[in-house]
Amino acid sequence: MEARPALSIQRSGASQLSTHGVSGGLSSSLPALSTLLGESYQDFPQQAHAEREFMTRSLAHATRLPTNNGVVGHIFSSSSGFSSDIHYSSALPNEKHSINSPFISQSPTNTAALPLPQSSNSLLPQSTLPSHCNKEHSGSWCTDPDFPVSRSVLSIQVENSNCSGIMRSDDFGKQNDWQEWADQLITGDDALASNWNELLVDNVTNLEPKTAYQVAKPCATVPVQNQQLPSLSVESQSVANSSSSENNAPAKSRMRWTPELHEAFVEAVNQLGGSERATPKGVLKLMKVEGLTIYHIKSHLQKYRTARYRPGPSEGSSEKKLTLMEEISSLDLKTGMGITEALRLQMEVQKRLHEQLEIQRNLQLRIEEQGRYLQMMFEKQKSGLDMLKVSSSYPENPPAPSDATNESPTRSEPESSQRDHVNPGAGTVNAKSMLERSPQEVRGEHKAPETGDLEKAETRVSESNSQPSKRPRIEE
Amino acid sequence: MKFGKRLKQQIEETLPSWRDKFLSYKELKKLVRLISSAESPMYGKEDAEAEFVYLLNNEIDKFNGFFMEQEEDFIIRHKDVYIQELQQRIERVISTWGTNGTKPSEAEYRDEMARVRKDMVNFHGEMVLLVNYSNINYTGLAKILKKYDKRTGGLLRLPFIQKVLQQPFFITDLVSKLVKECENTIDEMFPVQVEEEIVKEQREAITVAGKGIFRNTVAALLSMQEIRRGSSTYGHFSLPPLDLSDSDLIHSFQLNPPIPTV
Repeated sequence: MEARPALSIQRSGASQLSTHGVSGGLSSSLPALSTLLGESYQDFPQQAHAEREFMTRSLAHATRLPTNNGVVGHIFSSSSGFSSDIHYSSALPNEKHSINSPFISQSPTNTAALPLPQSSNSLLPQSTLPSHCNKEHSGSWCTDPDFPVSRSVLSIQVENSNCSGIMRSDDFGKQNDWQEWADQLITGDDALASNWNELLVDNVTNLEPKTAYQVAKPCATVPVQNQQLPSLSVESQSVANSSSSENNAPAKSRMRWTPELHEAFVEAVNQLGGSERATPKGVLKLMKVEGLTIYHIKSHLQKYRTARYRPGPSEGSSEKKLTLMEEISSLDLKTGMGITEALRLQMEVQKRLHEQLEIQRNLQLRIEEQGRYLQMMFEKQKSGLDMLKVSSSYPENPPAPSDATNESPTRSEPESSQRDHVNPGAGTVNAKSMLERSPQEVRGEHKAPETGDLEKAETRVSESNSQPSKRPRIEE
Repeated sequence: MKFGKRLKQQIEETLPSWRDKFLSYKELKKLVRLISSAESPMYGKEDAEAEFVYLLNNEIDKFNGFFMEQEEDFIIRHKDVYIQELQQRIERVISTWGTNGTKPSEAEYRDEMARVRKDMVNFHGEMVLLVNYSNINYTGLAKILKKYDKRTGGLLRLPFIQKVLQQPFFITDLVSKLVKECENTIDEMFPVQVEEEIVKEQREAITVAGKGIFRNTVAALLSMQEIRRGSSTYGHFSLPPLDLSDSDLIHSFQLNPPIPTV
């Protein structure tokens, strides 16, 4: 069975998200936390918490890892991934298994804090694992019931025990280590490497010319054919910022399909004789899209087959499973309208909802944009103010004019006088013009309240310093 | 408070398979409360924040996964939905002019077309509901972050929300495009007749019974209206109240309690 890359780059956004607040270790906190959380988080499908072994090292890394790593994604076929890790680290190159990131979605319940008894055994039954691995070939989420262990095992543990030479525990959270680990695991296995396009694309919005990023070095062997199909480059939904884009553990990534990509897929499938006859490997070869893995194809093909088999009926309507007559009779409850009218009505509502959703989304974007801008402005002013404080410590020059210029936004002066000053005035004017732009882009309905809001926001910038108790944070 | 209830309502009204894919707003709110009141020395603030962030990230993972899966599904199906309609028409034409094939009667044809239309409308509805899913989860996240900052004096909200804005589940451009495409197709294929306009005048209270896409979209719309009715903590980060110009259309809907499912 050919080796499969299993890069998980699903949510690299997490890497960014977590770096903000995460600091220090959680070494003692997880047990406490688990008690705090109690049972209320059963419904979180989460990534596994650290094992005991891992916990002894540093729990901070444990929890941070899933969040810090764009790499860390969902667990696929954890057992096979598990064994592959072990095998590779034991330098058994003859074992070819899918290298799955053994991250497993799991609810962060008390198991997080509990050292799993199986964990110590998890490393042992390696000889039996290959057989399971060989069986595995589904691209998605196949969990091996024989190995409950795998469900709770973090790759961290594996790495800690096996790749200690690779990973430094203090840097564990660092993403670069993943790549080293990945490199180590994939020593000279070209067949494996050829499947390894993993990619953390940092630019989600830029769909067209973006190519899948080759993360690990072995990936460099993948022929770059992207030039032929620039519009079809695969974009893995890591949605990371650049810092996570280079780091990939060998895990499956989540792919975001586009219509163009799908077209190419359908083409390839048709060339191979239809959805039933086409094989994932063949399709992959035909498509020649960089960054696409066989897993992606597999799951997509599966969906495609299902859809073809029963075209049209959507999930929603299939759940009703009504025949047309029943449908009409239920629609008749809508005051006896004909089905045509009923459908028309339904369409109206749906259109309206969609319209409103778009408006709402735009508003939300604008609001955050504004908040960011104000924050930036505030920080600029603050730094200016700080500099001023330094300079004004000299008795000879209390810089009165510049004082007024720089400090004016921080005083609770009337709004108009702010705008007269050049320095912050320019900024304020810019802010105002930028903010005024947004209501116009939005359909006129919400213009008035929004503009009012924005002006209020500007005053708040100025007031924040003088009234810290009322508005502790400028971004508010 | 209000949002939590609204969210819960929406979750109840939504398609069953979607129910566990929404934001766990209530639990997160509890956690925020816990964090703000706990103040225990062994569980420092930084740790609490880290854990909170961890949970949020997991939620986001969930959204992303679900969203992209649905999106993929739509991409796969969207052409087929239109093709179906075309096929119907072609078959109709063929059999009309055809040689021996049984020519479908007008009624049959009409039924068939109605079915196709229904499928398309439902497909449209599904996509819109996905956009709604994205939006409501985003709103929930924004709210919970605001609560967190407020209660703990943290500065988590702004940078975090910036990241959320870049997440796949929030970037609904493709689905919106498909929705518009679907709208256009439906409008072209099933142009609104004049008679229907007249019927509109005579509309009474419309009871939306049963389950299904229609009910869900109505529920979603009403929900959105409620959520944006007016915030108690109205700030410049709040959305203005929803203004549905043709509000009588929406208000004329009443949602019956759902028929208990098997």
